[in-house]
Amino acid sequence: MSSTTADTRSEIVALLPRLRRFARALIGNAADADDIVQIAVERALMRIEQYQTGTRLDAWLYSIVRNAWIDEARARQRRAKVFAPSELGEQIGNDGAAEAHARLEASDVWQAMAKLPEEQREAVALVCVEGLAYREAAEALGVPIGTLTSRLARGREALQQMLGEER
Amino acid sequence: MSIDLAKLIAYADGELSAGERIEVEAALAADSALRARLEAQKALRSKLMAAFDPALTEPVPERLTHAAEAPREPAPVVDFSARRAARWSMREWGAIAASTVLGVVLGVGVMSANAPMIAPADGGLAARGALARALDTQLAADQAGAVRIGLSFERADGGYCRTFDLAADNTSGLACREGEDWRIALTARSPGGGELRQAGATPEILAAVDAIIEGDVLDAEAERAARDANWRDQ
Repeated sequence: MSSTTADTRSEIVALLPRLRRFARALIGNAADADDIVQIAVERALMRIEQYQTGTRLDAWLYSIVRNAWIDEARARQRRAKVFAPSELGEQIGNDGAAEAHARLEASDVWQAMAKLPEEQREAVALVCVEGLAYREAAEALGVPIGTLTSRLARGREALQQMLGEER
Repeated sequence: MSIDLAKLIAYADGELSAGERIEVEAALAADSALRARLEAQKALRSKLMAAFDPALTEPVPERLTHAAEAPREPAPVVDFSARRAARWSMREWGAIAASTVLGVVLGVGVMSANAPMIAPADGGLAARGALARALDTQLAADQAGAVRIGLSFERADGGYCRTFDLAADNTSGLACREGEDWRIALTARSPGGGELRQAGATPEILAAVDAIIEGDVLDAEAERAARDANWRDQ
């Protein structure tokens, strides 16, 4: 068990760059993305016994990153209701997505991603950014493959419209 | 032609069967607009990769590498269902606390001379004074005084727990209801820039919450109802 864990740890270290990339695509802010990756890695190690050796470690970790982000977004929603808007800055609206949005990096692609509904963004991030096969992405998100493909199509169409063609 | 966008994208992603590929390729040969859509989707994917790929070559912050590498005890027992009947004990909390990477600061800094907010009780620590009052009555939505309340939830083996921040002491913590007391399960140094964090939302506290929570955290309505019922199990 412990040697397996040691191996898994070094695999996780090797995956950190990709986890950071995924979190950035999901969250739209590099600093927040690193916070979420850290939380996710800690959670993964606390539940390392749930990881099934032989299955894809990256897909397991992506789903933990994604769940950590959902938890954080929920927490932000609760918090946004707690604090007066002036405390968080004027641009920040009523929900976690808006709060994250206010801290977006100044890249048109990052901003377009952030405008997608969460479930489309995570599908696009796993397939287009991380290069997962549809089946792997669907498993990481816990949705049927047909759901994944339709979210992917809607998300990509929306991105296409936002980013247009720069010829 | 009935090539919808999902199928076209799946073609671009190499996700189609051989038969479907032939169908799409026939349609592409006959339809320049479809070809343009395909090119646009390929260009979009390149754009996405160009925007996010720099993460692959940037140096990884040490705190992330450390989080993955830091040796620690084997994961604490999270099979709470197996001992749901057992009473929650400080020893179990100790296991969770000891497993966190960052320093766990039990009681340090919150034993101010006049009105200690955390004090020893029954071999553990319990909330006292302003902290106990806040845990009893304050809602997450209340404008915070010395204590800020974060998450409230039920733990898997019964009873309520709440996370909190003591702003003046830079301390966050997790407390769980035991009889009429709030037992302090875990405290930790709050990170800087606390105004953008959920009260008590340090990684180690979130990890502990995650390990013992039953279901979801309470929403504002459920939090109020639990408070009004004096945090007794329904």
